[in-house]
Amino acid sequence: MKLVSLMKKEFHRFFHDPRLIVTMLLPGILIFLLYTFIGEISHSDEKRAFKVYLSGNSAAVGIIEQAITEDGSEVEWLPVEDEEAARAAVEEGEATAILTFTENFDLFGEDARAGIVYDSASEDGVYFYSLASSVLIGVGMRFPIDVETVKEDAVAMTEFLSVLLPMLIVCFIFSACMSVTLESVAGEKERGTLSTILVTSAKRSDIALGKILPLSCISMLGAVSSFIGVALSMPKLMGVSLGTLGGYPVWSYFLILLLILSIVPGIVALISTVSALSRSVKEASAYTSVLMILVMVVSIVTGVLPMMGDWACAIPVLGAVIAMQKVLAGGLFLWQSFLAVGVNLLFTALLVVIMTKLLSSERIMFGK
Amino acid sequence: MQEIVRAEGLRKTFTLSKKQQKIERTGETRRVAVDGLSFSAYRGEIYGLLGPNGAGKTTTLRMLSTLIKPDAGDAFLAGHSAVKEPGKVRDVIGFMTSELKLEGFFTPAYLFDFFGAMHGVEKDVLAARKRDLFARFGIDKFSEVQVKNLSTGMLQKVSLVISIVHDPEVVIFDEPTNGLDVLTAKVVTDFLLELKGMGKSILLSTHIFSLVEKLCDRVGIIIDGKLAAGGTLEEVAKGDLESAFFEIYRGAKGEIA
Repeated sequence: MKLVSLMKKEFHRFFHDPRLIVTMLLPGILIFLLYTFIGEISHSDEKRAFKVYLSGNSAAVGIIEQAITEDGSEVEWLPVEDEEAARAAVEEGEATAILTFTENFDLFGEDARAGIVYDSASEDGVYFYSLASSVLIGVGMRFPIDVETVKEDAVAMTEFLSVLLPMLIVCFIFSACMSVTLESVAGEKERGTLSTILVTSAKRSDIALGKILPLSCISMLGAVSSFIGVALSMPKLMGVSLGTLGGYPVWSYFLILLLILSIVPGIVALISTVSALSRSVKEASAYTSVLMILVMVVSIVTGVLPMMGDWACAIPVLGAVIAMQKVLAGGLFLWQSFLAVGVNLLFTALLVVIMTKLLSSERIMFGK
Repeated sequence: MQEIVRAEGLRKTFTLSKKQQKIERTGETRRVAVDGLSFSAYRGEIYGLLGPNGAGKTTTLRMLSTLIKPDAGDAFLAGHSAVKEPGKVRDVIGFMTSELKLEGFFTPAYLFDFFGAMHGVEKDVLAARKRDLFARFGIDKFSEVQVKNLSTGMLQKVSLVISIVHDPEVVIFDEPTNGLDVLTAKVVTDFLLELKGMGKSILLSTHIFSLVEKLCDRVGIIIDGKLAAGGTLEEVAKGDLESAFFEIYRGAKGEIA
């Protein structure tokens, strides 16, 4: 009952204050506008001319051609006479890609497969790959697409996104959590309104949960807003369609969502604890910013370091970032993801206990 | 007379930070704030803890209201131990200090309901109590105005009313008129007299002689964390509280610098 009242108060505070709602949703809108603007400048009026070797045939070819010509670009289909020569042409940049279909591909037989060979270091190559893979998924392609990049040392776009996107997501989650949690915990402590609640007979654990649970739900909105902002602006920014991401199966999205959901309460609990330890919003904000930079830096480092093993998924917050990177890089990293989620939940529970102790500490709450 | 508050040998020490040691030019690392304090307050009376700044009044009231734990001793409020049953003590007391604030975003009506729920007051009881108290103290016209938009006097009234939302047996006020202008201070003193009229037992701390003379039935003079004198106002003041206080102070600490 007391916990419900405490939670309702946080929701009431947030949803009845337009400024807080705008503050929460603004990063997503700004990200979308900013990235779209940057994308428009760097990719405006870009007409492309694709040369694609085609082996086999499918109705999808017509749709791909239509999608390419719609925005003023051109495509020239070349027959594959010599596979080695075609690969060499893609490698040297004389052709964009090789698109292959097995016989009777459109009948969706058991052996029906499609393949794309492209240069992941070439912007045209990545553009064609993302567009073609989107179309193939769109026409009901139920089979994995055999994707091959001709330059092994080049960083593939998917690889790039798999490193960048989780880091961006964590960064946005942190920002969203910071804007509400600092105000609600450090702000209330600084203004003396938290002490007013401590004088009541509400349990300290209820007060801690009464902050962390609703603030997590609210922060989730901000994180989703930022994520949508990134997702919508990514095609414009990168000059690629989200087909690159769209190539992921449904369970990938489920795992990523689960990982995001597990990160939010962990970060909210972390910021709440730091806020409870701080004397002012300014002090809490400074400490939290350091934490955020640390998580961002480590997220990038773990993304590019190949030696990070599956054990790293057991690190709170960071583990979920690593799991996300693994999922986005391709593959069913089920136990690693669930391990990261479980660790995050345990981490949150531990921080709730610490927060409860801090709320009971006279030195922390009433010390000068 | 029925005893409602009993402090038994309360003692509290604090660690001095390096900064504090430097400011006070002292090498001591611990400071005794309250040193074996004992006193009793009775039902339906106003008891005043009178003392200079730093005497240990606030620390004593914080121990009584369970916000901090005594290093030694205990206090009993309406029969509940502050050390062993802090939750029960919080249910029978209303605590008010200038350091406790209300969130400016919310309305008095919302905060009354919220703090009522925090004390576990039944909804119908809470609604009736809100009608009664808001009407009695003239808050009803401002019940839906955000706290940040209230006048200082009205804000003080709202804070006072919310501190007794759960109809506590004992009301504890730390420096109730400190920092208030004369009009707001009158709101507070009138409120305390009104509470006394309602049969509440009140414990307050102050360094203002006139406040004690106006409100208190009994007084305890606290100097350096110890009870230097205590009893009814007549017994302690002997006609002039200010003169009596300085005489007691000189007796405890020597001449005033």
